[in-house]
Amino acid sequence: MVTPKSSDPGRGLGLSAFLAGFVPGLLQYQLGQTQRAVVAFASCTAVFFAGWLVVGERLFYWALLTPDQGVMRMLASFGLPVTLPELLNLPANVVGALLAFDPSPTGQRIWREPRALEHLGGFLTGASGMLAAFWSAAGHWELRRRRDGGATPAMPIADPALCAAMSWLVPGLGHAKAGQKDKGLLMGGAVLAVFALGLLLSHGHAVDRANYSVWWIAQNLFGGGSLFAALVTGPLEQVQAPLHCDAGVIFCTVAGLMNLVVMIDAFTVAERSVFPVAKPEGVAS
Amino acid sequence: MIAFRVGLYVVVLFLIAIVVVGQHHTTARDTLRAVLPRTVRWIVWSAILVATMVALELVFIGW
Repeated sequence: MVTPKSSDPGRGLGLSAFLAGFVPGLLQYQLGQTQRAVVAFASCTAVFFAGWLVVGERLFYWALLTPDQGVMRMLASFGLPVTLPELLNLPANVVGALLAFDPSPTGQRIWREPRALEHLGGFLTGASGMLAAFWSAAGHWELRRRRDGGATPAMPIADPALCAAMSWLVPGLGHAKAGQKDKGLLMGGAVLAVFALGLLLSHGHAVDRANYSVWWIAQNLFGGGSLFAALVTGPLEQVQAPLHCDAGVIFCTVAGLMNLVVMIDAFTVAERSVFPVAKPEGVAS
Repeated sequence: MIAFRVGLYVVVLFLIAIVVVGQHHTTARDTLRAVLPRTVRWIVWSAILVATMVALELVFIGW
């Protein structure tokens, strides 16, 4: 069996579809799913501003490249600070930045000041970016299903984007939803074990957006763990750096990256229920 | 200290292998069967990498 050209998974959906993915709900709107579009936009915006009300301009300090000078400062003044994963929820990120950006020395001092509940606030703004990414994935999936699925496109065993989102919160749950329970348990257990080991070695301080903001970007790819850290371990007072804190930070980051693989695999497992992998010519099925 | 860290490294390598290998299988049993050889292979590559780095250090920096 040879993959028909029309269902080649390597064939992209184009630049406009990619860019539309940065505005939650826009792909759904283009697909004629008006209700879903409204829900997507409203959910991403609500989650972002629930966190933004707590952290506000602190997001500038947590940006991948702090917008204190040069090009980054110019981008931030136009509402485009490179804060990940908030950037994936572009409209809310732009509005939040335009409302709060003050590059003066006083403004920059305020970016650096810790505030109450900032762990939870930082998680929520980050979660809005992840949520936007999952809505975007849902839109892209629907586009591909309509493009490659023929006259009457088949329904997948489970929504691939939903499977990925479930795996973001609980690693392996997406696989269970897509019908691979034991594999999901195994892969999810591996992610949880590495994350727990990291927290244990660092006495709970490894996942802390305020102290390790760049590492946190990858750690947040395991949303459940990042939420746990925001609620339980993040607010813990750090008196002395634990002996193996460095290893703890790295392990939690690795766990996040492992969960990215788990999320992509969960998406793929559900996707293959409609578009199975083609075997190379000459290989018996 | 070094032994403790190497021990942790091997355990984490095994867990990473589960996730990486899992993508190519549909059941946990098949995945586990393929994980051990992959972990061993990665350990060997890690040892080669460390040995190369130590050798370069000896050549350019000295003992």
